[in-house]
Amino acid sequence: MEHMIEVSHVKRYYKVAKREQGMGNSIRHLFKRKYEIKRAVDDVSFTIKKGEIVGFIGPNGAGKSTTVKMLSGILYPDDGSVKIDGFIPYKQRKQYVKNIGVVFGQKSQLNWDLPLIESFELMRYIYKIPMDLYEENLHQFTELLDMEDFLYQPVRQLSLGQRMRGDIVAALLHSPKIVFFDEPTIGLDVVAKEKIRNFIRYMNQKNDTTIIFTTHDMQDIEKICERLIIIDSGKKIYDGSIQDIKNRYTSIKNIKLILEDGRKEMRTYDTSKKPMNQIMEEIFRENQVKDISICETEIDEIIRDIYEGSSRILSSEL
Amino acid sequence: MRTYLEFALKKFQNKMVYRLDFFMGMINTLITIAVYLCIYKALYGNASVIDGVTYKMVATNFVIALGLSQAFTFNEMFMQDKIKDGSITNEFLKPVSFKLRMLSENIGEGLFKVVFHFFPALILTCLYTDICMPKSFANLVFMLLSMMLGYLVLWLISFIVQTWSFWLFSVWGIVTIKNVFINILSGSLLPLWFMPRPLKTMISCTPFESIYFTPVRIYLGQLSGMDIFKAMMIQCGWILVLYLTGNIFWKQGVKKLVVQGG
Amino acid sequence: MGELRIALQSLKMSIHTRLQYRVDSAVAALAVFIRESANIIVIYLALLKFDRINEWNVNEMLFLFSLLFLTYAFVVSLFADLRYFSDTIREGRFDRLMVRPRGLLFQLVLNNADIIASVGHGTLGIILFLVSAGRVGIQWNTGTVLYYTGTIIGGVLMQGGMFIIFSSLSFYFVETGSIRDIFYWNMRKFAGYPISIYPKVIQIIMIYIVPFAFVNYFPAQYLLRKPDMAQYPEIYMYLAPFAGIMIYFLAYLFWRFSVKRYKSTGN
Repeated sequence: MEHMIEVSHVKRYYKVAKREQGMGNSIRHLFKRKYEIKRAVDDVSFTIKKGEIVGFIGPNGAGKSTTVKMLSGILYPDDGSVKIDGFIPYKQRKQYVKNIGVVFGQKSQLNWDLPLIESFELMRYIYKIPMDLYEENLHQFTELLDMEDFLYQPVRQLSLGQRMRGDIVAALLHSPKIVFFDEPTIGLDVVAKEKIRNFIRYMNQKNDTTIIFTTHDMQDIEKICERLIIIDSGKKIYDGSIQDIKNRYTSIKNIKLILEDGRKEMRTYDTSKKPMNQIMEEIFRENQVKDISICETEIDEIIRDIYEGSSRILSSEL
Repeated sequence: MRTYLEFALKKFQNKMVYRLDFFMGMINTLITIAVYLCIYKALYGNASVIDGVTYKMVATNFVIALGLSQAFTFNEMFMQDKIKDGSITNEFLKPVSFKLRMLSENIGEGLFKVVFHFFPALILTCLYTDICMPKSFANLVFMLLSMMLGYLVLWLISFIVQTWSFWLFSVWGIVTIKNVFINILSGSLLPLWFMPRPLKTMISCTPFESIYFTPVRIYLGQLSGMDIFKAMMIQCGWILVLYLTGNIFWKQGVKKLVVQGG
Repeated sequence: MGELRIALQSLKMSIHTRLQYRVDSAVAALAVFIRESANIIVIYLALLKFDRINEWNVNEMLFLFSLLFLTYAFVVSLFADLRYFSDTIREGRFDRLMVRPRGLLFQLVLNNADIIASVGHGTLGIILFLVSAGRVGIQWNTGTVLYYTGTIIGGVLMQGGMFIIFSSLSFYFVETGSIRDIFYWNMRKFAGYPISIYPKVIQIIMIYIVPFAFVNYFPAQYLLRKPDMAQYPEIYMYLAPFAGIMIYFLAYLFWRFSVKRYKSTGN
């Protein structure tokens, strides 16, 4: 199948002003500033097929949003190239963005004082959405996201979850081929998160929409994505399926112990290095065990482990 | 006391971060003064003295009153913002007085503007315009003292208006209208010597004269000896009256906040 | 056509927003009106004592001021969002505009129109015009009415162009509010009065650099013919309506250039 998104050897550097503490330095700062170069994105390449859902994760400041900005046509790369659906985003902005939708989790595009429907109307004119498509989408989305009740209430009176759903609809009314979600579930409660996840999956399955989203919530990743791209310090450090990364960790077991004296202990063992029966033997030999449970490594933990760069077994392979 | 000094210094220091702001603020003040000097130069034309007031005195009035009014500005939406977002209740939990903290931060900002906006503008203005020297060294000292009292009068009026945000949806409109009154009636836009007589009498019954006009008159030596003392007592009187008024509003406002839970 | 629909929807949204807080909006509009009246009151009181300023009497002064307020009433609705453009960039709202398939400047124009300020400035402008227009000896005929309309449009575009230039600076510097304050707001303070009262340097700035003189002084001169016009080329009075169009065009070019640079450097 043809690639929807092709990113090759993309680089992006920033000049950052250095600020120093203290009164003397503040005065000096008035006249002269020091700069340093920050490599926000440092030689990143990947391709994404039509209809894929890709989770794009990394610690804060890893270069996620810079990458998303380059994909959505907001920034030129310093080096390398981006080609999406036949367009070069940053060169053919107006043409290209007709095909994409962007949801910024922390930056609402809704008018704070007016009902959602007014902001949606504005989108209709901005994207020149034909009336029948507009009505069809609006009807379908509001039903799926359970929004009929608050469509006519001023946005400022809505809960965060309701507002987020409004933002998602506003970004998707024109039926984009590609959608970027930037932390769409941030700060939401479990129910709202679930609604949004279901909706994202539905959009993907029904319309074959290509979806890229960034998040800090690993539940999002597990429940929505097939594929995961991890970047850290501007470099891509993992690109593959969720299952794959989990498989690599299956040998890592967390063992919870409750000892006779009531102490609780949490231990991590690698069964590829030491067979399970030997581990058990050691545990029972050295401790008075009252209760024991063995758990798989949670995806959260795996990711944390990767970020920390102290990967217990993956460091060399990733 | 140390804590509040710290607040003021912190604010002072924070203002230094934006270097553009620093240069521009000074030019801003300079230009504002220049506009009015030009207007009055044109109004005077060839006349040298009008109603016993020379152009030089008018220039002095503008440099001091208008210059300081530029420096003595601060965020007057501060209390409203704190009330609207509910963070004012957090302020009550801190072991410092909210009012004093507000005052010290505003003073810190004012001080920054006096040092980095007003003084340079003053020096530059003197390069192209003749202004009167202070009548005597004592007058200068008293003027500075009276200027600080003037600041308190200005601040307390603002404080009173700001407390109304406990009741009103927005005080922006009222703050704006209040500032028009202050700008016109305190003599920073129109030297009070030239006010029509009935207006002048009215103004002398308000605190506005105490803000800039009293220091200007002390500087020029229009007040001397006992008169200086009297004028400063009037300033102190206004400070007391305004402080008590402000306190009533503040207490009522806090009570309302506590009762209604914000 | 599509553009007009967007513009109307934006305007409708701005008005609806303000109508949600009727009382507050009314108070705010009144506040703007009073704030802007301050300069008028001050010059009025001063002229009670001094009678004339460089041969301009009270009514002529009010007429000069009226042009400033009337044009600004339009500017503040059309270009309101540009006043906070550095915030727009810092908070990432500009990125939002870039992912929409429309002109960037177009999306900013009419967005968040400041209806309050428009009403405040507009009312004051109309009052000043009504008070002064009949008393300053202007022969109102087709020619003068056409010229007057032209200068209002030119004045709006001139100031809109300045707003665009100052906004564009936000692509280069973090804190641009002060630059705008100096070049726009302070020069506007100068603009309330006949520029002939100022030192040569300021006159040159007002004519050639921040050309406010073409918003009110030269148009007023065309209609009033005060003696102080003698020091300036006569052609400037006729140029007034066109100067705005030219500045707006230059501003637009600078804007385009700056957006391109923003895309390549980020913020």
